[in-house]
Amino acid sequence: MIITKKDIPSFLDSLRNNYQVFAPVKQDNYTTFKAINSGSDAVLDYGNSKIPPKGILFPQTEELFRYKVDEKGTHLEETIDKEQKVVFGIRPCDAKSIALLDNVFNNNKYKDPYYLTRRENTVLVGLGCNEPQNTCFCTSVDGGPFDTTNLDILLVDIGDKFVVEVLTDKGKDLIKAANCSDASDSDKEAASKAKADANVTGKVNIDGLKEKLDNNFYDEIWDYISEKCLGCAACTYSCPTCHCFDIVDEAEDCDGCRVRNWDSCMFPLFTLHGSGHNPRPSGKERFRNRVMHKFKYFVDVNNATACVGCGRCIQNCPVNLDIREVLADIQGSEARSVS
Amino acid sequence: MNNPYLPLPMKLVKNFTETEDKLIHTFTLEFLSEEDEKSFAYTPGQFAELCVFGKGEAPFGIASSPTEKGHLKFSVAKVGVVSTALHLMEEGTTVGVRGPLGNSFPIEQLKGKNIVVIGGGFAFTTLRALSTYILHPDNRGDFGDLTVIYGARNPGLLLYKEELAEWESRSDINLVTTIDRAVEGWNGRVGFIPAVTEEVAPSADNAYAIICGPPVMIKFTMPVLEKLGFKPEQTIMSLENRMKCGIGMCGRCNVGSQYVCKDGPVFTRAQLLELPNEY
Amino acid sequence: MQGIETAIQNAAKKLLAENKVDVVIGFENGSQPLRSTPVFIRKPEDAEKLTWNYTCENNLANYLRKKDQKIGVVVKGCDSRSIVALMKENQIDRDKLYIIGVPCSGMIDRKKVADIVEGKEIVEAECKDDSLVLKGRGFEKTISIADVLHRSCAACSYKNPVIYDEMVAEPVAEQSEDYSDIAEFEAKPVAERRAYLAKELSKCIRCYACRNACPMCYCEQCFVDCSTPEWIGKSASDVQDNLLFQAVRVFHGAGRCTDCGACERACPMGINLRILTRKLVKDAKELFDTEAGVNMEDKPALSTFNADDPQPFLVKE
Repeated sequence: MIITKKDIPSFLDSLRNNYQVFAPVKQDNYTTFKAINSGSDAVLDYGNSKIPPKGILFPQTEELFRYKVDEKGTHLEETIDKEQKVVFGIRPCDAKSIALLDNVFNNNKYKDPYYLTRRENTVLVGLGCNEPQNTCFCTSVDGGPFDTTNLDILLVDIGDKFVVEVLTDKGKDLIKAANCSDASDSDKEAASKAKADANVTGKVNIDGLKEKLDNNFYDEIWDYISEKCLGCAACTYSCPTCHCFDIVDEAEDCDGCRVRNWDSCMFPLFTLHGSGHNPRPSGKERFRNRVMHKFKYFVDVNNATACVGCGRCIQNCPVNLDIREVLADIQGSEARSVS
Repeated sequence: MNNPYLPLPMKLVKNFTETEDKLIHTFTLEFLSEEDEKSFAYTPGQFAELCVFGKGEAPFGIASSPTEKGHLKFSVAKVGVVSTALHLMEEGTTVGVRGPLGNSFPIEQLKGKNIVVIGGGFAFTTLRALSTYILHPDNRGDFGDLTVIYGARNPGLLLYKEELAEWESRSDINLVTTIDRAVEGWNGRVGFIPAVTEEVAPSADNAYAIICGPPVMIKFTMPVLEKLGFKPEQTIMSLENRMKCGIGMCGRCNVGSQYVCKDGPVFTRAQLLELPNEY
Repeated sequence: MQGIETAIQNAAKKLLAENKVDVVIGFENGSQPLRSTPVFIRKPEDAEKLTWNYTCENNLANYLRKKDQKIGVVVKGCDSRSIVALMKENQIDRDKLYIIGVPCSGMIDRKKVADIVEGKEIVEAECKDDSLVLKGRGFEKTISIADVLHRSCAACSYKNPVIYDEMVAEPVAEQSEDYSDIAEFEAKPVAERRAYLAKELSKCIRCYACRNACPMCYCEQCFVDCSTPEWIGKSASDVQDNLLFQAVRVFHGAGRCTDCGACERACPMGINLRILTRKLVKDAKELFDTEAGVNMEDKPALSTFNADDPQPFLVKE
């Protein structure tokens, strides 16, 4: 099937009758995912969004429940978002990251109803990457510019139209509202060519990386590999697979709500005990934990690398600390294990 | 879908100043109904997130044993917002409890074995749960000898003095209490836990050692246990870490690939030796 | 530029070979076009990694606080002022620091470059005298470097380091200060200013890159992390709290901030932070006739009190 780029705004507007539609929109000189008020706000000619669209399923700030405790008793009201959503124009790396986040919010013991309810009610319409950026390295972490993992529909840009690949029943239902026509043979050829031409130049060799990380926890490489790191949260808040959060109460006396906010393992307070003891007292331990979590611990538990190669951390880091260089240094180092 | 973030309302019925320096209080919380109690079936070693409405939540080991019906006990040190609010709380106030969380002491594995419980200072909370559970008439027969070595800096800082007095008088438990330095009026042992453990020299034969305490105590007691013949698989520890969600999602409390809240807090020393030393 | 780069490399090599310092902190080529990145050189043979160009935008004074080692550091004018300010606060031991001073003609603002190429990806960038040749997929554009300098560089009146152990080039011409950009904003009606600041701070994601990039922000516990009392909420969706965070941070820097722009450069969301920081720099100048870190003698503005200090909040004029 194909849909012309001219028809996209009206398609999005018709979707807005039944769904909350999120699409990339321009903000200053970058792009970010927002709930659109008009189909023409969507910008599908973009590299990738500044901040990943994971915030649609896992918002930076989210009310978990409201409460009121008084003489009448304890009243708790959970606030779970059940609205139907469409994320339109999500890149394959970000769609894959959602599959990885599923492991976190649905682990071997507990289910997170906030994330999982949104997840169930969201349709993901992906946009393949004809021109991957120089900071992308998805192909090195089991992904690709036209990877269909977790997508309900994949759009392939062939100039003034998209070839529409319907991947799931949810996608099939969604596309009914669109003014689609059949794809001609030349359309299909153009799509194949776009896929073949998409070249991900950024590469990282992660063969044997986990084994190196299994053994180099006490290696002196960690003393200097993150020396320039400022310890801010720019990388973690830009990362589609990061999921750490904090839980706080916002209330007056006993009337208020419990809220969760994104948090970052790069902050010193993240692991500070009430006693004052901190198992990760300096940037070195925190950075090591971040790399280990993404490239070893997540693999240990979920058999998948918690990195999709989107390159946002590279772009947003104030000191250009490049994860690809970090991994190459680790791969190159002799993993001397000193315990 | 069950919502693991919602607390169960409970009533604070006792706010007891446990230690002489007033820094540790023990709270007794009552379930509001029998269904509530049934929904909170727990095993010694587990913890819960105690919620002070309006202030926040914090994780505490459950000090009571499931054999003590109708209520839960927590011992809390005053270190921050939630613990301070608890310390100042009037009896009769409604609090919330989320749990039971975490794994527990491996009760089934401990059956038929001799149990050596070693606790230091404030870390004795879940050890009280375990000891009380074992001593209960329904359970005592399932376990072998029970040795409890418990030490604090001074007598005033020992927790659960009432229970300790009761245990002294029993013949089915060998209770050894010790304080760091001699103090007038104290007729019991004097010495640090590692030295006292060496003196008591519990046998490692068909035994499990369960040890909880501050890092320095663990550091010096481990070699003693090793010398006594306790293998890493027979040595059980309960870890602490800063926690928020308690269900393995907020990413905070991990030691290596294991979340202390979900995969712990109880680990054998053998398991911990596989994990990075970051706790 | 090339001459400066070689001079820096030679200086570093000599310092390390003669064991005068344990480490030289400078810049090396970044992993993307138009970026360089801080580097810590410990061996003389690694000194050739050091680079100098229009992308060396970070303030390396940020890495100098409370260090035991002997450190060599490459600084621009603004960075050197931060070092002076930090010395006055006992954060840096002058005897353990060797300052390689570089007269600076300004650093490139990648956001301005992105605006010019409409957000398209730059695959290659080459510096040719005063111009930048930018190449992307299907385009090539030559722009004048002067057009895309950081605003803090365009307004800079301390391009030459104020403190140094050696200077690797001849000083460049200085310009006098000009706060008309702030005066223009100050003249706007309150509602307009409020709306502008709210719009800017609505982009904030509370990553604290601004705070961590600032050499003067070094509190062991930042006020945002304090829970008793909880000064501000943690949520980034509250624009008022975001604004309060910036305002308090900037006030903590009053009289100490050198307008180096590190905060604004670090911000991933492109927030105009200097509208606040530069306002306080202007206030320090106008109220107390001080500028942070311009010489070793002046006392920091908010650490001294003179009887004739303006105090309209206290004394009716």
